[in-house]
Amino acid sequence: MSDPNCIVFMVDDDPLVRDSVADLLDSAGLAARTFGSATEFVQSQRPDLPACLILDVELPDLSGLDLQAELAKSGIEMPIIFLTGHGDIPMSVRAMKAGAVEFLTKPFRKQDLLDAVQEALRRDSEGRKQRSETLEFRERLRTLTPREHQVLALVVTGLLNKQIAGELGTSELTIKVHRGRVMRKMGAGSLADLVRMAEKLKISA
Amino acid sequence: LSQPSNPQPDVPLETSIPEGAASLESILCTEELGRRPGRAPDYEKENRALVTLAGAMVDANTNILQTFADTILEATQCDSAGLSLLTKDGGKRFYWPAIAGEWKPHAGGGTPRNFGPCGDVLDRDCTLLFKHFEKRYPYLLPVSPAAEECLLVPFYVGGKAVGTIWAIMHTDRRKFDAEDERLMNALGQFASLAYQTVESVADLKIQVAAREKAEAALLERATGLEAKIRCLVDANVMGIFTWNFEGRIVEVNETFLNMVQFGRDDIASAGMRWTDLTPAEWRARDELAVADLGATGIAQPYEKEFFRKDGSRVPVLVGAALFEKGGTEGVAFVLDVSEQKRAEETLRRVERQARSIVDSALDAVVVMDSDGIITDWNKQAEEIFGWTRAEALGRRMSETIIPAQYRPSHEKGLRHFLKTGEGPVLNRRIEITALRRDGTEFPIELTITPLKSGDAWTFSSFVRDISERRRAEEKLRESELNLRNTQAELAHMARVMTMGELTASIAHEVNQPLAAIVASGDSCAAWLASDPPNLDKARAAASRMIQAATQASEIVQRLRALYKKTTSVTASVDMNAVIEDTISLMHHETQRNNILLRTELAPSVPSVAGDRVQLQQVILNLAMNGIESVAGLDHEPKRLMIRSTLSNSAELLVSVEDTGQGIDAEHADRLFAPFFTTKPQGIGMGLPICRSIIEAHGGRLWAAKNEPRGAVFHFILPIKTPTE
Repeated sequence: MSDPNCIVFMVDDDPLVRDSVADLLDSAGLAARTFGSATEFVQSQRPDLPACLILDVELPDLSGLDLQAELAKSGIEMPIIFLTGHGDIPMSVRAMKAGAVEFLTKPFRKQDLLDAVQEALRRDSEGRKQRSETLEFRERLRTLTPREHQVLALVVTGLLNKQIAGELGTSELTIKVHRGRVMRKMGAGSLADLVRMAEKLKISA
Repeated sequence: LSQPSNPQPDVPLETSIPEGAASLESILCTEELGRRPGRAPDYEKENRALVTLAGAMVDANTNILQTFADTILEATQCDSAGLSLLTKDGGKRFYWPAIAGEWKPHAGGGTPRNFGPCGDVLDRDCTLLFKHFEKRYPYLLPVSPAAEECLLVPFYVGGKAVGTIWAIMHTDRRKFDAEDERLMNALGQFASLAYQTVESVADLKIQVAAREKAEAALLERATGLEAKIRCLVDANVMGIFTWNFEGRIVEVNETFLNMVQFGRDDIASAGMRWTDLTPAEWRARDELAVADLGATGIAQPYEKEFFRKDGSRVPVLVGAALFEKGGTEGVAFVLDVSEQKRAEETLRRVERQARSIVDSALDAVVVMDSDGIITDWNKQAEEIFGWTRAEALGRRMSETIIPAQYRPSHEKGLRHFLKTGEGPVLNRRIEITALRRDGTEFPIELTITPLKSGDAWTFSSFVRDISERRRAEEKLRESELNLRNTQAELAHMARVMTMGELTASIAHEVNQPLAAIVASGDSCAAWLASDPPNLDKARAAASRMIQAATQASEIVQRLRALYKKTTSVTASVDMNAVIEDTISLMHHETQRNNILLRTELAPSVPSVAGDRVQLQQVILNLAMNGIESVAGLDHEPKRLMIRSTLSNSAELLVSVEDTGQGIDAEHADRLFAPFFTTKPQGIGMGLPICRSIIEAHGGRLWAAKNEPRGAVFHFILPIKTPTE
């Protein structure tokens, strides 16, 4: 019944809450794995599937917010849904700023949680897709010569070939040839495509 | 007839013949009288003797019976002669009222009636001649000289035998003959007459003897009295002088001289009069005494004064008597009563002092006798009860100051004490209700002291009106109650404020199970709605719901106790459980602040007596202070430790240690002062309330430095002993 193509993780020190939430997800057809502490979660082997994390703000070892920071630092980009027994505004602002999908106060409504989980999983799938696309772009970028790299950086700033030639001290024709190679190597169908890629790869002049 | 009061020692009272005694026949030889050669009767001599005897009978001064014995001796020419008379105690014995001749010293002796020669004579009712009768009657052996022959003749009065007359020969110098028998028989008839005469004069003699005896006693007493008085005079135990109505002192003793410090010569030579020795103001009293003397012969002792030689006065007690009624001379007895006077004066002074003490006493003093009658009543009693002393004296105490409803038990208690000597309310301070004259009742403190004087008891009561004190006590109780209420209010307020600081933790604690319930409820519904329904999972979810709901209700209960405004309830409290319960509420608080809270609780701690909520409040407060002091730290470790230790068998020590910034030296002495706080939101009531709670539980609360850093708060509580 559960979707084998995604998984929900949960960290809460209260076994009753843990079991109840896991069961609720199970009944909604979602696979869930629970942990009693942040450390347990960090040290666990996780399948490479679209996933999200339901995290209790108040944990015995490391607080939920600290774990969030910790995960970001180590490059684990997993959407987080926070649960709290007693949420206050500063706490939720901090969590949301750090990229939390949702900040739910216990006891929560089933639909709120499921919506948040769906959204998180969607985001993760999206994220994962984006992350693999960026990886592809980065591979393509690696095939460019330094001159082509220079031309790409200037093209995405919106400069005309003539302006670029002036900037680099060469002819307009030379630039046109380089630009054509860049477009081909990067697999960009249009300038707009190229600009999007450059943004992803955080390329600037 | 006078009889010996005691039988003579040589006259035993055997009534039976001892074994081996000679037979009666062997000692009798009466028939020999006729065979012996008889002498010629001497009628002249016989007549003379009888005349003498008759004369003796009419002369009351002569001892008739002795004359009779003498006559027998004379007439028969024997060695001993006498009479035996039956005693008047029923005739058990014979006694010998008169004996002449050699046996005279045995007068007063006698023989048994049933076992002796006289008895034999009366039994045979005839004259008998005995020979050595001691052979049969051994008790006669010591009566010496022994009787060779004894002639015994019975005599009668009114036909009844009353005795015998007898004649004895101690040697065989002469033997009795028929003439002797005739003489003795004639004398026997005379004896009857003599006996009657003696009987008739006996009464008279008794009267005479009694009078003589009385006279003799009187005489003896008079002589004795004189000697005694003389003795008294000379013994100098009291002053004595003899005097006459002219006022002259006739004779004085040393004591009197010493008393008035005159020499004997002063009085004798100067012809001093007792009136000269008497101060003028006592003359009238003297005249009264003289009048008494004239009338009755006696002047009852009275007090007066005499002058001493140096003009000072000596107080004396004087009594006097005339030597003869109607006479003019007498004796006076004088006692120096200076000592008594001084003692009396002292006593009076002490009494006056006692009186003034009693009157100036703060307490009312009421004295009652054993009949329940008031015998003393001081000024304070007048003020307190409204009766004057004059009014109160003589009244029944119970009717005067005891409210009617208590009177029966008072009377009963008094009777019980007089009977048994037991009085549970005596000699100690009791508080009871008393009655004023106007009928109002008021509280008093009372001490009753019983005192025995002679056979009678008096009861001194010290009474204090304690209406004021009662009112003050009432007020104190009220203000104490108010204070307690205020304290309770404050404690509650502080508790609620502390709980406010815990809101986040509490919300978490409550929401945690609620979340589980809601989530499990949702999944339960989902499992039931699935096709086919997953009942196992639905059941598991429902069971989780129940578990979580139970958890939630426990938490709510714990919280409710803390929020509730309760009056203090004392119960048996397990401090370890209180600590565990309290930190369960703070669990979240410590997590949020990343604080390590640990406990080290002594195993099997005995209970303390106390109010669970209040004790929980103390733990909560101290722990929250600790959390606060470490929460702000930006360095590790942030630790809080709660310990319980049995410091000794009577005390439980609880410590709350933190690793915070500790207590500033400048704050140390104000730490427990009300309204002292270092927190921006604090009201400064937490620690003072904690301390008052612990002290109300009989314990102590104090702060100290924790090593190596931070503060530690200790408190001790007395352990509840099993008997409490």
